[in-house]
Amino acid sequence: MFPANLMPLIGIKVLGTTKDGTLWSGVVMLVEEHMWGVAVLVFFSSILFPLLNIILSLLISSHLYFNRPNRHLAQWMRWLQHIDEWAMLEIYMLGIIVAGVKLASMAELHFSLGLYAFVALLIVTGMLASSLDKTLFWRHIGRLRQ
Amino acid sequence: MTPQKTALAQGFIRCHDCGCLSKQAEQNNHCPLCGGRLHPRLPNSFQRTAALLLSAFFLYIPANIFPIMTYTRLGVGEPHTIIGGIIALIQGDMVPVAILVLIASILVPLLKLLGIGLLLLNVHYRWQAHAKKWTMMYRIIAFVGRWSMLDIFMISILVSLVDMEGVAKVIAGPAATAFAAVVVLTMFAAKTFDPRLLWDKQG
Repeated sequence: MFPANLMPLIGIKVLGTTKDGTLWSGVVMLVEEHMWGVAVLVFFSSILFPLLNIILSLLISSHLYFNRPNRHLAQWMRWLQHIDEWAMLEIYMLGIIVAGVKLASMAELHFSLGLYAFVALLIVTGMLASSLDKTLFWRHIGRLRQ
Repeated sequence: MTPQKTALAQGFIRCHDCGCLSKQAEQNNHCPLCGGRLHPRLPNSFQRTAALLLSAFFLYIPANIFPIMTYTRLGVGEPHTIIGGIIALIQGDMVPVAILVLIASILVPLLKLLGIGLLLLNVHYRWQAHAKKWTMMYRIIAFVGRWSMLDIFMISILVSLVDMEGVAKVIAGPAATAFAAVVVLTMFAAKTFDPRLLWDKQG
């Protein structure tokens, strides 16, 4: 419970700095080239769903931590479980590596602060996912409901 | 394997979302814990999976024929298909990355299409043997599916990075949309397939 409470806070701050970097500009460029489907998919899986994931985890865990019943809790928890599969930050990281290797031969690459922030976000959301005990959360939600 | 009664045979339904077991008799179609809809098995699992799989299969063809991106250098366009990109990587002595891309964007989608197809055949023709192994295959398919997005993300990065007007530019091609659709459709197909169907016809 405790790590699940603390970790998302770091994640939100980090995502703010990466978002106006490459994550966002890739989506914008795809839209400019009229690749709407791909742009929407990239936006959802690399920006929107990871963010929602963090926000929902934070909302749910803070409600449970302070023992505050909320009639939306079960709804949020269900959303969180459905979103889980579609947040693909780790795959995006792999995409960065492959793109980097492809570009390395023809251009000089420099890694900016955003990339470090992205890696940190990746590690933190990974830890969040592994420390979030769904069964425990559901049991808490059930208890609060009564 | 010792044959045991399934939860369903004993009159229980398990909620898809929170895992809460509830007695079939007192169910009113909603889970008492989380309020989600209750179904003994995922509704129309077979039909939905088959439909999604078929659409994915047909989109897989344009995804491989058409260029996934065009690399323009000094005004000369150079279209790349998925396989073309891998060959370019091998020629550039970047074999490990080439293998990575080969696995993520050719082998995984292909094996997924075949794998889910086999699972559907299994359920339809009630092949009774090796349900445990089939379930394992389902788990691998469900886990590995999202990694095919690698190529799509790579393109979105290249498109935004390589954008020097007149010198070098990368433009995403029509295959990118088709390929993204294949990945999403097979992910949905894996999700709508209920692996418990593999066990229902046992014994």
